[in-house]
Amino acid sequence: MTDQVKETIYRVAEDVFEKLAFLFSFREEEREPMDYGAAAVAGVTFTGQFEGRLALAVSEEVLPELAANMLGIEEETTREEQQDALKELINVVCGNLLPELAGRKKMFNVNAPLILSPEEIGVVTAAPPAAAAKLALEDGQCDLMLYLDEGVSLDPESSEAP
Amino acid sequence: MAINILIVDDSTVMRAMILKSLRMTGLEIGETFQAGNGQEGLEALDDNWIDVVIVDINMPVMNGEEMIDHMRENPATADIPIVVISTEGSEARLERLKEKGAAFIHKPFTPETIRDTMQTMLHIEGDD
Ligand SMILES: [Mg+2]
Repeated sequence: MTDQVKETIYRVAEDVFEKLAFLFSFREEEREPMDYGAAAVAGVTFTGQFEGRLALAVSEEVLPELAANMLGIEEETTREEQQDALKELINVVCGNLLPELAGRKKMFNVNAPLILSPEEIGVVTAAPPAAAAKLALEDGQCDLMLYLDEGVSLDPESSEAP
Repeated sequence: MAINILIVDDSTVMRAMILKSLRMTGLEIGETFQAGNGQEGLEALDDNWIDVVIVDINMPVMNGEEMIDHMRENPATADIPIVVISTEGSEARLERLKEKGAAFIHKPFTPETIRDTMQTMLHIEGDD
């Protein structure tokens, strides 16, 4: 089951990265998780059919290209634009991922995405994720971690095919 | 006639992306206005002449669906064309938006989708 969820995270992430931010990604299943202390990490919580959190870590080096691509500009981007780009990226990944996991008959509310502080990163990543995806990008790396609240199981029997 | 457009989304980067795509559509764009949530969107509608509203769903303070409800209740804004641009995937919510007369564009989008939706909604013939 986890494999199926992981596969879905990869598929949605690859698609959104490419379409939203013109970033091409490659799966890096075998590598170690990133050093989240040295990365930019955004998080988003969601409620609805099931509840939990999604975290997205990207190497600092990726942020300027991410923001410039999304904004469609050549000039240097500000820190604020870079963080806003990362927040919108996780927002769109999460919004697309949940119906893929639960089916389109189910409803979710995705809360406003946040940039996580080092303390928050520690708290969020302390527990093992329900599923995670590890990607290589041109300028760095990216990890996506899905955390589900206790008692939540993504039983394939209970979800419709999209 | 140039179209005045209000873009309502809590992400400034997304608002810039939508604006950039609009400029690529070839539509004659007049003034553009931006708001970060539904409440600010309604205020912009109060203060300005706006022909089309483009609105996100998930936003703090007031979400897009509530903003649309307020618009439809107010005779001054009830007939303004609305395009929802959102990641929303729930069939029930999409059906509800359709009943409220809003067009829907799924995020992530291409500039072509924005162009086609705007042309259909505004009954404008395409160049190609
Ligand atoms: Mg939003």
